[in-house]
Amino acid sequence: MIALVLPLLLLVSATASAGGHEFDDLVKAIERHYGTRRTHIPLMGVANLFVKVAHPAGTSGLKLALFDNLTVSDEDAAQLNRFMEAAAGGGLHPTIRTHSRGGEAAFLYTGEAGRNTRVLIATFDRNQATVIEVTVSMEVLMKLIQSPGDANQMFGIGS
Amino acid sequence: MRFAALLAAVLVPLTAQEIKMPPGLDKLAAKAEESVDITLDSSMLRMAARFLSDKDADEALARKAISGLRSITVHSFQFANDGQYDPADVAAIRSQLQAPPWSRMLGVKSRSTGEDVDIYFKVDAGGQLGGIFLLCAAPRELTLVSLVGTIDPEHLADLGGQFHIPALDFDYHRFRGAK
Repeated sequence: MIALVLPLLLLVSATASAGGHEFDDLVKAIERHYGTRRTHIPLMGVANLFVKVAHPAGTSGLKLALFDNLTVSDEDAAQLNRFMEAAAGGGLHPTIRTHSRGGEAAFLYTGEAGRNTRVLIATFDRNQATVIEVTVSMEVLMKLIQSPGDANQMFGIGS
Repeated sequence: MRFAALLAAVLVPLTAQEIKMPPGLDKLAAKAEESVDITLDSSMLRMAARFLSDKDADEALARKAISGLRSITVHSFQFANDGQYDPADVAAIRSQLQAPPWSRMLGVKSRSTGEDVDIYFKVDAGGQLGGIFLLCAAPRELTLVSLVGTIDPEHLADLGGQFHIPALDFDYHRFRGAK
């Protein structure tokens, strides 16, 4: 178990250097807005949630925050948009937002990072949310633009 | 004739004149099965242009198409049932496109599918093209695409399928010949 969790922790925590504080700002805003705390990854196994963080080619500097038990059932797409407009972005450019009637939503913010792009992704799925910050190649960015809702799958985050 | 003059003109960007989206549009996402909003600014488009390959024919065409653009904005809604969006919202958008600098260059209405596609060009006093607005309204689908900057009209269809822009069955040369 420790062997599984330790590399994951190192991967998530050791990559917090690049970029601004948009990731932390958004995580704090979600915590405040929904009155919750990000899920600590070592407890994921106990919570019967299987999380495997992949590091696909063309990505670096991954930061990840997961949230469970959000009370978003009475929040519609317009309200979520307003929350994200106020909470996210900072120095990043709002690039894509998607909503589905099933309550899934994805928000993607981008900013230049040399030859690559720094991307902040927030996905909401009923009572769960994921915030990812990662630097990606243009090829990966194009895939994210085509299917922003698949970001979790792309980075191997599943429940 | 007017169209030919437009084409012959050197393509330079105009000052962006935003089309105001009706407030009701923001609420449409709640009714839609799927909704997508995309805003690509000039820096993102520059990066995308660098990424697209000259060796791949489709990518080369898309690269050429976006090379002069300053922004691409797409609002796309798909609905489970007919009549989910308010025609007044669509009319409010169309009304902004009725007067100069906008001109409706193409309108296709399908009786069988109920699809209504309009393409508007933004032309300045010197006859130069500075933007394109695409409005696709179908009983269960509404897509609004705004391209700001310079684009050769013959490359418009090359953007179809990219960046969530709907596939465009639009042959500019045929259209030009028909004018």
